Amino acid sequence: MKYLIFDAGPLINFSMNGLLDSFEKLKQTFKGEFLITKEVKKEIIDHPKTVKRFELGAIRLEQLYNKGVFRLADINQEEVDELRRLRDNFLQKANSMFKTKKREVHLLDKGECAALALSTILKRKNNEDIPLVIDERTTRILCENPKNLKKLMEKKLHTSIKANTSSYDLFKGFKIIRSTELAYMIHKKGLFKLDHPKAFEAIVYGLKFKGCSISEKEVQALSRM
Amino acid sequence: MEEQKHILDTLKQVRDAVQSKDYIKIKQLSNKFVHHCSIQQDADIISVAVIIYSLSKMLEREDYKKEKNWKQFYNDYLRTIKNMVIALENNNHEKFHNEIKLNRKLLSKLSGNLKENMKDVFNRAKINKASRIYEHGISMEKTAKILGITLWELAEYSGRTGVGNVNLGVTMQLDDRIKLAEEIFR
Repeated sequence: MKYLIFDAGPLINFSMNGLLDSFEKLKQTFKGEFLITKEVKKEIIDHPKTVKRFELGAIRLEQLYNKGVFRLADINQEEVDELRRLRDNFLQKANSMFKTKKREVHLLDKGECAALALSTILKRKNNEDIPLVIDERTTRILCENPKNLKKLMEKKLHTSIKANTSSYDLFKGFKIIRSTELAYMIHKKGLFKLDHPKAFEAIVYGLKFKGCSISEKEVQALSRM
Repeated sequence: MEEQKHILDTLKQVRDAVQSKDYIKIKQLSNKFVHHCSIQQDADIISVAVIIYSLSKMLEREDYKKEKNWKQFYNDYLRTIKNMVIALENNNHEKFHNEIKLNRKLLSKLSGNLKENMKDVFNRAKINKASRIYEHGISMEKTAKILGITLWELAEYSGRTGVGNVNLGVTMQLDDRIKLAEEIFR
């Protein structure tokens, strides 16, 4: 069985951009399951349903959740316990990785770490990489190039950062795409309803402006593909 | 101790900037304060950043000043800031914390348009500070939690900033990421 794990950002992004229909169609072409963690469900459905401004978006996502377009990972109690343990380990390691003169800078929260933990468990179970869809920048840089995150923080915080490089390896090897690459796949498969020469570019910009961390250059290049 | 001194210095500068009506300086002070928020992630420090930024936004707008209870609200608001300065000068952390709480409570005393407008100012200030902290390298979820806002609000706001355009954020060639997406959906 193939799996694709979603962080909260991409699902929020597709909902805010009114792209959930095409997201559902994309799922039909995927020979596997779209998964979320409990933490992500809380961020995309349970909590925003109580906020008037985001209630509609959350209801739309809930509908897809109820239809099984994406669902919670089907793991047994032993694996749930392991997920918690791994999540807390990712959390502890990420949040002690970078230190200013005085204190450790806390980088990640439970949701992001639970997604990494779920990918780790399913990778071991299935003996293959379990990719993730993540729009926010920090988790992605931490996994793909933690040195860049250190540089970025030093530049922004105007202070030197000491890195615990021994933790870098724990975050290595995760396969990450963003909502923009998902949109590319939807576009390539002809699943977007919009029929306009600029539609795909507009969609990519829409995703960028709702939180997908993608540079202007990348948007331009992606739009030409 | 050094942190306390920094908060004190910033609040003193805010107090002086209010007197000299230098509203741009107030906003700048709030933005500089974000470095501290990103590192400390302490509720009181973050509240101070929101209080300062909100003040700069209130002062930018003339129409608030026509509202009936504005003067009282504004004077009380400034009084809490002055009291925060006094509390820190006296190393009285409990009083400092209480003044932050009092500042937050000022909103509940308002009614009508002013209440709605001020609520909006505070909420926007929180989202602005969250977006800045996210720019500093803290994850979106962590930042949203620190500021007590939803991921939806933060994603919407931060998407309009230049956070995605920072070169250090490009950690894989686009072609390679597209190949990865194609492999996933093969």
